[in-house]
Amino acid sequence: MAVFVDLNITNCKDVKKLQNMIEMAAHLGYSTVAINHVFEFESKKMEIGKPISTKELFSTLPTVQGKSIPIKILTRLTIIASDPSHCNVLRSTSPSTRLYDIVAVFPKTEKLFHAACTSIDVDLICINVTEKAPFFFRRPPINAAIQRGIFFELVYTPAIKDSTLRRYTISNALSLMQVCKGKNIIISSGAERALEMRGPYDIATLGLLFGLTEGVAKAAVSTNCRSAVLHGETRKTAFGVVYTVKKTCLEEEEAEPVCKKAKKS
Amino acid sequence: MLRGLEACPRHLLVCEKSSFLHEKSRHSALVQSHYYNCSVSLLLPECASLPEHIKRTVDNFGRYYLVRNLPLHEFVKEDFINTFVKKGAFYALTYRTRIDQDNSAALLPTGKLILSVDKDTYEELGLQGKPSLYSGKNPLRYIIKIDLTEEGLAPGGKKFQRLNWAFTEKKPLKCDFLLAWDNTGAPSILSYFCKYTVKECNFKITSRISRDLPCPVLKSGDLHGKPEESCSSEELFDWLGAVSNSIDCDNDSSNFISAFCCPHPNTMVERAHLCTINGFVTPENIQRLLDQLREYFAEPKLTQWVSLIVHGFADSPVSWKECEHGFFKGGENLYSVVVFNNQDYWLQMAVGTHDGCPP
Amino acid sequence: MDPMHGRMREQPKLAGPTSYERIVLKNPSEHHYMKVQLEFNGEGAQLSATQFKLLVVSALKNLHGEVGSSLPLDLLSFDEKTLCAVLRVCSRGLVKLWSSLTLLGHYKNHECSIRVIQTSPFLLALAGNSRELDLE
Repeated sequence: MAVFVDLNITNCKDVKKLQNMIEMAAHLGYSTVAINHVFEFESKKMEIGKPISTKELFSTLPTVQGKSIPIKILTRLTIIASDPSHCNVLRSTSPSTRLYDIVAVFPKTEKLFHAACTSIDVDLICINVTEKAPFFFRRPPINAAIQRGIFFELVYTPAIKDSTLRRYTISNALSLMQVCKGKNIIISSGAERALEMRGPYDIATLGLLFGLTEGVAKAAVSTNCRSAVLHGETRKTAFGVVYTVKKTCLEEEEAEPVCKKAKKS
Repeated sequence: MLRGLEACPRHLLVCEKSSFLHEKSRHSALVQSHYYNCSVSLLLPECASLPEHIKRTVDNFGRYYLVRNLPLHEFVKEDFINTFVKKGAFYALTYRTRIDQDNSAALLPTGKLILSVDKDTYEELGLQGKPSLYSGKNPLRYIIKIDLTEEGLAPGGKKFQRLNWAFTEKKPLKCDFLLAWDNTGAPSILSYFCKYTVKECNFKITSRISRDLPCPVLKSGDLHGKPEESCSSEELFDWLGAVSNSIDCDNDSSNFISAFCCPHPNTMVERAHLCTINGFVTPENIQRLLDQLREYFAEPKLTQWVSLIVHGFADSPVSWKECEHGFFKGGENLYSVVVFNNQDYWLQMAVGTHDGCPP
Repeated sequence: MDPMHGRMREQPKLAGPTSYERIVLKNPSEHHYMKVQLEFNGEGAQLSATQFKLLVVSALKNLHGEVGSSLPLDLLSFDEKTLCAVLRVCSRGLVKLWSSLTLLGHYKNHECSIRVIQTSPFLLALAGNSRELDLE
């Protein structure tokens, strides 16, 4: 029960297009979006650039439909990792990654998937939806990722574009769900054009097709995204991996004493 | 896996029949306890233009107000409680907040202030509340109820101070509010809230006449209906939806586009008048309208029944009384009263997934 | 004039007030209703009600196959100007219909999208949407 979030709006050089997508997100009822900067390594020594300046995109931010508040825009970095060296930028306390609100990794091999789940400091792990999953989802790494408060991301726009991709999306989502039991899933658009985006209630229903239950499917576009953003905030402020996990646990426990305090009054 | 594909969201429909003449008739209580209404419609079969007495009632609905950025602590002021809460029915509901995403609040005419807040806000406020019934095992939404008329809440008292402290210092919550006040003799909302941006709003009234439409045959004594004799309450509710949405219900089963039909048995009526009033409608106004509808049959009419349809706010924290209301795929809470010419009536109350059973 | 018409007038008023009765129906609705709008980028295409219905049925068939496309489905209203429609589907088929509409991305050679404005098990609920109350 939190506001609706789309954590994956593809960054593009065409500012008008980007503005259109953000306006559409606001129109559809999303309160927060993240502009996704994708980095694919061509050479081993590639520098990660700065994120787009969200302040310069709009003079006045679009208002979320049916509300009186403006949309919130975050930045996100996604590293496509096909070689262990690609993750080096994420292991070190690299200043360039700390400029982003959310950091995601798209592991191409099983080894890297394992590493992403167990040791790399990220907020999101992208699940491949455009081809048959190149490796099996195994329980130990996935449980480790859930423990560490990392979320798995499914994008839905490929499923809109093409019926083959639709089959891959659904079948990969279903095999992931068999292992993670619907925990720590977020669904985002990955949109490149405004017309590819869908409303939050539509996506919550689409989640049922991916094997999620009703409540969990709604969480995949709201509560879980909020947790992922919080995870990103703690990653930015804390310097280690362990601390981030502790912080999220602490927050859960804090609820108790406050209630008790309130009762005494 | 994929069991969810065939499931449909839970919903309830409660149908009642009774007579206005019964001493214990609950119609008033049910109308009065459905506090927040965004539209009310009258459906009058065989009626060309609204009778004068009904038109006058609609014109006398008065006004309602939209206040911008009103801090919640304004409701916990001694002056406010004495001027409004204790002097009549005061209604307040957050405007443009979504109950499944945002913090919402409502001030009931009973003097209860109800907040529906997310976990973060709840913890910051530090007031006593209960987890929302619809937020699962790890509650992310809490409901706080504060009785402003309670004796323990005397100004200057500990509880009063704590509330003020929570709303002014701990978590200064501000929202846009819809306000309505059913006491014309008292000071006006405009002058009391002059520190804030207040907009006076008028009700939007629209009328539409549908011609030559099939209309279900009803027997006031038979809610369930009988084949070939009369239609059931459920069938009527569906048909009311069709008329309200201007849906053609004269189709064959072989029609490719739609096979939607009026329930059987039905009669053709020459015309039906549908008058809709949109805005922040108080139960008092609806009650007056209902009383006028009963008067409608003082003179003989072609039709045997007329109907009053009321839509609640999808994002209100309550539906009837203090029953918690939420939004899942929709936030249905609506009712309709069918007034028969012999002072019998049918009442149909419908709610969606995140709502309790209507009283 | 309809022969039934006269009958209504002649019926005598019922004697005595009716007794109180209450029925609570859980999930009574056999159908679910959806208010949707088809959206194109810029110009787009012109559609008739029949073409729109065909589009929805083909979307169902693409995602859920023959069984999906044979779900009882009615296009209750369609506005050719605004491309707004009200659909009725049997309750079992709601998720199938909704997901098909969500994943629909093309009509002829136009990119398109179907926006779901409101859904409810009660047709009457579609006539009053407080989320559309606009006082600006």
